Amino acid sequence: MFILGFLCRRLFQGIVIIFLVTFLIFTLLRVVPGDPARLIVGGMAPDEVVAEKAKELGLHDPIPLQFVRYLGDLVQGDLGNSFIRPKSGASFGGSAYDDPTRGERAEVLGLIVDHLPLTLQLAALAILFSLLISLPLGIAGGLNPGRWQDRLAFFSGSIFVSVPNFWLGIVLSLLFSVKLGWLPSIGYKGFIYTVLPALVLAIEVAPFVIRTLTVSLAQVMQEEFIAIAPIRGLSRWRIVMAHALRNASVPVMNLFGIQLGTLLGGVLVVEYIFDYPGLGLLTINAVLQRDFPLIQGIAICISAIFVIINIIVDLAATAVDPRLEY
Amino acid sequence: MPAGEVILDVRDLSVSLEGSAAGQRLLEGVSFKLEAGEILGIIGEAGAGKTVLARTLVNGLSEPLRVSGGQVVYRSRDLIALPRKELARIRGNEIGYIGANPTGSLDPTVSIGQQILEKLRAVQPDLSKAEARERVLEVLAAVRIPAPATRFHEYPFQFSGGMMQRVMIVDALVTNPTFLVADNITQSLDVTVAAQIIRLIRELRERFSTAIVFISSSLPMVCDIADEILVMQGGRIAEKATPEAITGRPKHAYTQSLLERLPRIWGPEIEAPRTTTASDLLRVVDVAKTYRVRRKGSFAAYNDVQAVRGVSLTVGEGENFGIVGESGCGKSTLTRLLAGLEAPDRGKIEFQGKDLGSLKGSALVEMRRSFQLLLQDPYGSLPARMAVGRIIAEPLLIHRTCPKKEIRERVLAAMAEVGLDPALENQLTVGLSAGQRQRVSIARALVLEPKLLILDETLSALDPVEQSKLLELFARLQRDHGFTYIFISHDMALVRKVCHRIAVMYLGRVVELAANQSLFENPGHPYSRALLSAVPTLDDHPFKTRDHLLEGEPPSPVDIPRGCTFRSRCPIAVEACGETDPETVPWSSDSMVACHLAGAAGLGGPGDPGVRHEGESHAQSA
Ligand code: SF4
Repeated sequence: MFILGFLCRRLFQGIVIIFLVTFLIFTLLRVVPGDPARLIVGGMAPDEVVAEKAKELGLHDPIPLQFVRYLGDLVQGDLGNSFIRPKSGASFGGSAYDDPTRGERAEVLGLIVDHLPLTLQLAALAILFSLLISLPLGIAGGLNPGRWQDRLAFFSGSIFVSVPNFWLGIVLSLLFSVKLGWLPSIGYKGFIYTVLPALVLAIEVAPFVIRTLTVSLAQVMQEEFIAIAPIRGLSRWRIVMAHALRNASVPVMNLFGIQLGTLLGGVLVVEYIFDYPGLGLLTINAVLQRDFPLIQGIAICISAIFVIINIIVDLAATAVDPRLEY
Repeated sequence: MPAGEVILDVRDLSVSLEGSAAGQRLLEGVSFKLEAGEILGIIGEAGAGKTVLARTLVNGLSEPLRVSGGQVVYRSRDLIALPRKELARIRGNEIGYIGANPTGSLDPTVSIGQQILEKLRAVQPDLSKAEARERVLEVLAAVRIPAPATRFHEYPFQFSGGMMQRVMIVDALVTNPTFLVADNITQSLDVTVAAQIIRLIRELRERFSTAIVFISSSLPMVCDIADEILVMQGGRIAEKATPEAITGRPKHAYTQSLLERLPRIWGPEIEAPRTTTASDLLRVVDVAKTYRVRRKGSFAAYNDVQAVRGVSLTVGEGENFGIVGESGCGKSTLTRLLAGLEAPDRGKIEFQGKDLGSLKGSALVEMRRSFQLLLQDPYGSLPARMAVGRIIAEPLLIHRTCPKKEIRERVLAAMAEVGLDPALENQLTVGLSAGQRQRVSIARALVLEPKLLILDETLSALDPVEQSKLLELFARLQRDHGFTYIFISHDMALVRKVCHRIAVMYLGRVVELAANQSLFENPGHPYSRALLSAVPTLDDHPFKTRDHLLEGEPPSPVDIPRGCTFRSRCPIAVEACGETDPETVPWSSDSMVACHLAGAAGLGGPGDPGVRHEGESHAQSA
């Protein structure tokens, strides 16, 4: 019962957030300089063609009207077509769509669906790597506050945080791809291509996890119920594994919800460096090309991801700590 | 196990603080023996080393404390020297431990049943899961936790302090230990709940034949429960004797001083403070306050928490008025209403004939100055980075009632009045003792020349000596300035000593409002009697726990039952109680009681057999 109410409330909130994001992006894109119609037909086209294209796209209508039209399409799952990308060129592109006037350009939804899985794969691997790095460091630090393990966690965190991701990306690909030849680094031809970018991302996220885990674990270890536990007859192993980590995991989960933005920002840079064909690269190109419908589509998609991940994080945190049920 | 077998032999035990230059000793040369089934009480003031001793007995000291000498021999094995592995087999299994803070003793994210089960299976691995579960449920029922099968799955935060302490008792007793260390287990509990726990411990001791080391700072409580008592002072044993010997002919000077400082509540020589008051200062008419709280786990449902439900009272000028009751009775909400921090939903509060609700702007600010609230924890309410003199001057600066030049004069005068050294003027509050900090906050209230001081548990954190000094100060201020005090407290002894009239609150209502003498000698409401019966005292107690103590806890202020709210626990309830909420009616010449049976024949107070019998049969059927 609780779950249902919770989901309803959060989904409703999420829809409101997505709506606001859509509106904001939509308006911003209309007021920045640059004529989309000119972009589509090309720099050499005569002015009448541009005007006709603009009329066809409804670019002269008032912005609220355009927005309503856009929303109307959106609820039907139509995110519009890219201004720039030809359907043929994007061979990975879209489902069949046989409207002759629009078919020549790639569908935004199709573009996103094609690029998103690669980014999700990258993010998942990055989170896995970051956990592999930060769990041992964070747990050792949290269990031994003030000792060398704590300092090790602190120092490694400080180092990771001060390494710029683009620099790390270049160094790692020089080392592993050029020198050692262990891992490929540019483009994407298979799962192995995800490893290096994921590593760079992981190192960017890890310091936050290490810090949060160290602090919250050290705090939990101070709690009365941990101090009492050995007297009650529990073994050290059980106390740490079943109780201390359980309690310390809640702030770490919340951290992931909060740090999602950092992760996404990192994705942009990392995909660009490694020429990794995910959502980040798509975004950068869309922005450079002023491909308004694509930018809008990506923005909506990302805000939806934000909403969903935060709901999942909250559900998971509540499952661990029932006091959070609110 | 044969009675008289020595199961615990503590020999010349010393504990020191590691790293301190002098190797400061917290325990020194403590020796005693505990026999099977015996209850050994340990008494002493804060800092006497009681808790250190409790932890040492289970080899549970943590850094920087260290056993620097002696042995704790449990059945011929020295627990201190025992290897970890062997200790693990004994501790938690044959030795139980219950601490002072039940709400923090279990993992807040795992259900209590699961945790007790986990513990039981950790120390008795041969037990099957089903058997262990069975056993946990059985002991949960034995400590009278209602609906054990449901509560098994609930989390620590869903339990009240008293219920949680029962859970911890289950946790300790589920393995059927040979001996149990109970360290200050009633410290955080309300009096009636504490009395219930004590009664329970005594019962369980018969049933489980466990030897108990019972540690407390309340002498009457220890005398009540223990077979033998150790009096501790400064880490040493001052005296060891039976309760009768301790109270009758104490040998050690320290024990004597403990006894002398014990507040007296009943006795022929006790004189209740009286006052002759002319005019009313504060009139509270039928005030109510309800809070809306979103219901847990729901979408848009709200609970109405009825914190205060129609309270009327008047406080006379120059009077000491007491408000007593247990956690959740609404006294803190009432305090907030009286102090004008919140407005009541209904009813009105009149101060010197003016309705606070109708005052606006400067008139309200002016009025606010006349009553000041003093809180329990002066530490939290004093800014840390401000000098003492500045803190006291602050209200004057805010209210701008006093010319700049005179401020310092007024501050110094106030400091002198409350007995603060003028040299403290430019110091921060960090180094001050609790009593001094409380004086700072009194001085801060004083500079505004208030008429009414509301003391919300103001004295409960202080030790008895400091407490009585402040009481003297309050009395002097009253003589000099004609102050009126409202004492909000759970401490019946304090209320008995200083208050002229007392209101007893239960679930948001005043169930009895009586003059001091009437309340303590001839209480009209069954709840007042229960409250009085639970007060630990060595005095000849007119209300025996056996006769008047209640089981259970107050219902939630969310679903208040129909009729008298006390009915679910009332030992003398009659049919009418379930129908209508009783009006407040006069009970004796100077008391008012909200009970249907007040004034009716048969409610003869203590020891009326007919009434009690009826009550018991009701309690069983409920
Ligand atoms: S009205 Fe009834 S239930 Fe309430 S206190 Fe009096 S006798 Fe008990």
